[in-house]
Amino acid sequence: METTLPALAERLARALGDEAVITDPVRLRTYECDGLTNHRAMPAIVVLPESAEQIAAVVRECAAAGIPYVARGSGTGLSGGALPRTDGVLIVTSRMRRILEIDVPNQRAVVEPGVINLDVTRAVRPYGYYFAPDPSSQQICSVGGNVAENSGGAHCLKYGFTAHHVLACEIVTPDGELVTLAAGDPGYDLLGAFIGSEGTLGITTKITVRLTRVPETVQTLLAAYDSIEAGGTAVSAIIGAGVVPAAIEMMDALSIEAAEASVACGYPPGAGAVLIVELDGPEPEVAAQFAEVERLCREAGAFEIRIAADDAARALIWKGRKSAFAAVGRISPAYIVQDGVIPRTALPQVLASIDALSAESGVRVANVFHAGDGNLHPLVLFDDAEPGAAERAEEVSGRILDLCIEHGGSITGEHGVGVDKARYMPRMFSDADLDTMQMVRCGFDPAGLCNPGKVFPTPRLCGEVPGVRKGPHPYEGKADIF
Amino acid sequence: MGGPLDPLDALAKVCGDVRPGEPEEGVLGVTPRFVAAPGTVAEAAEVMRVAAEQGLAVIPRGGETRLDWGLPPGRCDLLLDTSRLDRVIEHAAGDLVVKAEAGLTMERLAEVLAGRGQRLSLDVPLPGSTVGGTIATGAAGPLRLLYGSPRDLVIGLTIVRADGQIARSGGKVVKNVAGYDLGRLFAGSYGTLGVIVEAAFRLHPVPSAHAYVTTRVPDAANAHEAVQGVLHSPVAPSALECEASGDGITLGVLLEGVPEGVAARATRVADLLGPGADISHEPPAWWGAYPDGTTLIEVTAPPSALAEAPAATEGTAPADGAALLWGAALAGVEGCQVRWSASGKGYVGLTANAAEVAEVLARLRTTLARHRGGAVVRYAPEGVRTADDVWGPVPALTLMRRVKAQFDPEHRLSPGRFVGGI
Amino acid sequence: MTAPQDLPEPVVGSPGATPPDLLGEGELPKLLGDCVHCGFCLPTCPTYVLWGEEMDSPRGRIHLMQQHAEGTPLSGPMVEHFDRCLGCMACVTACPSGVQYDRLIELTRAEVEREHPRPLRERLVREAIFKLFPYPARLRALRGPLRAYQKTGLDRLVRRSGVLDRLSPSLAAMERLAPPLGRAPRLPERVAARGERRATVGMLTGCVQREFFPGVNAATARVLAMEGCDVIIPKSQGCCGALSLHSGRDEEARDFARRTIVAFEAVDVIVVNAAGCGSAMKEYARLLADDPTWAGRAEALSVKTKDLAEFLVDIGPRAERRPVPATVAYHDACHLAHAQGVRSQPRALLTGIPELTVREISDPEVCCGSAGTYNLLQPEAAAELGDRKALSVRATEAELLVAANPGCSMQITTALARQGTRIAVAHTAEVLDASLRGLGAGPLLRRSS
Repeated sequence: METTLPALAERLARALGDEAVITDPVRLRTYECDGLTNHRAMPAIVVLPESAEQIAAVVRECAAAGIPYVARGSGTGLSGGALPRTDGVLIVTSRMRRILEIDVPNQRAVVEPGVINLDVTRAVRPYGYYFAPDPSSQQICSVGGNVAENSGGAHCLKYGFTAHHVLACEIVTPDGELVTLAAGDPGYDLLGAFIGSEGTLGITTKITVRLTRVPETVQTLLAAYDSIEAGGTAVSAIIGAGVVPAAIEMMDALSIEAAEASVACGYPPGAGAVLIVELDGPEPEVAAQFAEVERLCREAGAFEIRIAADDAARALIWKGRKSAFAAVGRISPAYIVQDGVIPRTALPQVLASIDALSAESGVRVANVFHAGDGNLHPLVLFDDAEPGAAERAEEVSGRILDLCIEHGGSITGEHGVGVDKARYMPRMFSDADLDTMQMVRCGFDPAGLCNPGKVFPTPRLCGEVPGVRKGPHPYEGKADIF
Repeated sequence: MGGPLDPLDALAKVCGDVRPGEPEEGVLGVTPRFVAAPGTVAEAAEVMRVAAEQGLAVIPRGGETRLDWGLPPGRCDLLLDTSRLDRVIEHAAGDLVVKAEAGLTMERLAEVLAGRGQRLSLDVPLPGSTVGGTIATGAAGPLRLLYGSPRDLVIGLTIVRADGQIARSGGKVVKNVAGYDLGRLFAGSYGTLGVIVEAAFRLHPVPSAHAYVTTRVPDAANAHEAVQGVLHSPVAPSALECEASGDGITLGVLLEGVPEGVAARATRVADLLGPGADISHEPPAWWGAYPDGTTLIEVTAPPSALAEAPAATEGTAPADGAALLWGAALAGVEGCQVRWSASGKGYVGLTANAAEVAEVLARLRTTLARHRGGAVVRYAPEGVRTADDVWGPVPALTLMRRVKAQFDPEHRLSPGRFVGGI
Repeated sequence: MTAPQDLPEPVVGSPGATPPDLLGEGELPKLLGDCVHCGFCLPTCPTYVLWGEEMDSPRGRIHLMQQHAEGTPLSGPMVEHFDRCLGCMACVTACPSGVQYDRLIELTRAEVEREHPRPLRERLVREAIFKLFPYPARLRALRGPLRAYQKTGLDRLVRRSGVLDRLSPSLAAMERLAPPLGRAPRLPERVAARGERRATVGMLTGCVQREFFPGVNAATARVLAMEGCDVIIPKSQGCCGALSLHSGRDEEARDFARRTIVAFEAVDVIVVNAAGCGSAMKEYARLLADDPTWAGRAEALSVKTKDLAEFLVDIGPRAERRPVPATVAYHDACHLAHAQGVRSQPRALLTGIPELTVREISDPEVCCGSAGTYNLLQPEAAAELGDRKALSVRATEAELLVAANPGCSMQITTALARQGTRIAVAHTAEVLDASLRGLGAGPLLRRSS
């Protein structure tokens, strides 16, 4: 009954063809990490299926052999959600990238999981539509990955997350069956549970996405402030006035410096913070609200306000913000991108605490955040050549998450828990909370073979009495962390 | 277990408001043995723990507005009444978030929120509905088009499990992807997975202006054309409704925003709908209510389903709007009323016998299946209900049963009320 | 093998020049460290677009380079993925972190050439190519329908290697595209400016350009002259070394570079109309950075190298533009768009012509598969990419395809021919030439079949 990995590889090659199965170590190693590189694990086998049936076949083989498997899209995740298992199969959906149907009358499209997020928008744009979730990686991340992570983006303040824009998913269950979960079907909203489950409940093979009408007009302004506090005041004033902008983004002095060094975005010199506010919608609506926003920004003490006159000017305003993460590489040899959420109103206190933390530890922290929904992206800077620096940065990064939890926030707003933050889950949730989530897991994947070791620090084995939990998962020690 | 405590006594030890059930409190005819109304979440947890020890089948009850939806329970030992769990725990107006207990009525919640110029963007089709019941039944109205249903607006949920454990998911921030989203799983779960005791919602500002634009259309083809015209235009409606009955077909579009914007957009919609369109501050009488009738069918029908040209209208009064919809699936049914939202949800109300309802259901399912839609009976008189397949096809039933078995292995939570005998 | 007459004079590197295998020591780890594994390069990489495999993406190749840097020996699979890289540099454009993939793949190719023994057959193909393309005279011999080809002494080698099979579709395309033999005007060493002189420029004639698209060079010289430039065309110039440089044959590339530097030292600006050549010449500074005798001269050459479109936009239009009523699709050559960042200038020049409509080709950043020697060394992948590009070109419904690289034009017309479609092709210079001379669209469009 024992199936070895080489035997499994042979069976998979027979099912999918030699071209679709990778076992050469040199090639396998290129799959050892996703967008988060400090967790690495070389998969035993990589498969590149081209159809839902092939994925189902792979899952059935794995289930029969008791071998774990992990699904991966474009490999852009930032929490190690697609970190492979050294003793398992990595199922890569990058060859499943067909847009199967564009249904304009019903404002939806059907795509394969490997389709790139932005390609959906490109395909439907001629009809006046787009796919609303816009993670920063939208030019490369896959829709399947978006489903797994419930991806958001700068514009989810107004438009919501992937869960709000997916109408149905065909999935391969951990039993190897193809099942469609649809929002309109009777019964439990398993689609809702599946989206954002970080690949632990099954693998999606076909996604029906909702298409959003391209807004008639978009207005963007950039406001420069002396301090983050002043910028925060503007954010509160805008929200308080009943405006729901498409996006409100803020950057602090250090991240502005980095963006300037990288892409010469030309933000107002001497700014302690810049705020980007974007409104979209029907022209008369936006015109009225934009004037209000501009006034509020000025009243909050903006020393300069720039209004984008056209798409090119808008792109220039966004350029600095969009390049911020990568740009920080120009002012620091290494950095950790943190992702935490706080209630928007707690922004001033939390940022002050981060400042204090930074001063106390001597670790520089650059702040970039989705100010509208309190989603912080502190960039914790360090020099990896300096002994102990990485550990200190990691410590500061973790304490920022504690701050988020203290203020009633979350340890992740969009990057997911993955393998990276599983250990923080008990700080945010009780044992009973986590056990209850595990019930969903056990319903879908009683054998625990589907992306094990992610999201939950110490999974309860299915069939156990709730509340009884095993020690650390063996996998915890297996990832090569450096 | 030696010398078990009487269930009523056991419950009374942990909850201040426990009594025997009355026949008029029956759930679709099944009278509860006991009714407990815990006043706190902790008390609710204790009640559930005792119910587990005593092996009691539990049905949560909120405002009793949809207790007659779905199927009768296999048994009902304990009605867990949430009416004393009626506090607004926290309204963080600056964060556009509210956290409330499950027994709070939607009206009371709306009052509190309106005090700060905010709202929970869910319609309340049935007055008196509670927060918990609204989530458990996934109830929503016309605003669903823009804002979605409870699954889209719940950002945190506290439940009491079958074993009495309190479990939370989500939190009180809108953007949050830590852990599984039990809020979405519990939305529309009809009390079969656990008892909802608290919920946090994301809120929206109350728009400073609104307008309803309505028009009459002669048939489904015109309705389809008008709906497509509005949907593909950039006016961004908050709701787009269609009402059809013996009087014909009416379309209604809700626009919300700032006064200047709403005025301009309403004019544009009126232009799109053509001559005869009417702009009003007040909703049409039928807006947001379920249609009349002793049987209520909920349909999933995306906009393209309106394009199902009526096969033929012989034998049907041409003015009967309902009869013109969905390939004439509703033709020949006396007094049939329809409400349909461009979000793809709709309701058919009719007063008919079992055979007629079965016929309508079959025709609707056949027609709507072409559009990946379906039809579910929400309520029906006893003789009619038992004669029918209430739910229709349930594609992922095996998974649902397995999830149910995890949450409620003894099958004590609203047993038999839901799909596939769950 | 007899030594062909136009073999370049060997230009000897100065003694003490850094040995090639030390070049890049220490540089590589730093360059590799710049990659944060974000994956933004993936959708622009032609091979990733084709196969959807990590190892055939820039991110994956950088990972392979890292493996090698950490001690994993070069193996067949590893080299296979390096070889499959087109060197189109689309990833360099896409990278938000400024990873110098162009430099990385060059260093890696050089390493592969030094360290990795290739199978005989593969070696023969490569040798044949590098003994052929950089040498105008040998190319000239190939230009007729293989008429003079047998006389070069390459024939048996070439035939045995199978390179001919791969070459022939391209040759056929060249034959269709190029004006009949003999009509190719020999360019003088100097072409005088029309009207008041605004600049004196050197002009590179290129190898493929010169032999198969002589009309492009003539048009370039005329356009420059009509825009008020004295054009110097040194007879001593040979191959710029682009093919060698982009294939890891560094030493060979350095020899070509030194010779080119010498040939053009007298002029202040060098105008180049072939994208691959221009990008290589802009890289001389780095290629010869460790050679003390040549470093300064190389840098000077790189600084004064300009693509034709870049140069013309810099000096601004002066000559009258006359109508060219045509719908054109402009194709971004990788070595122009990605390697030199020249995208807006050719479009600006084209849209400046009255009655000419420019259509954009979808996915402009993805390579057509020509990529220097790629369509010879990786024919299947090149053909697939060519087919994709051809479909995009067809979708524009343009009547004329404009590109600034001879390889691209051949690649795309060959692919179109496979799909049973023909389209007229022209270099930006030829379209401008037609406009400035008032020839209309006729001469450009008549060349399609």
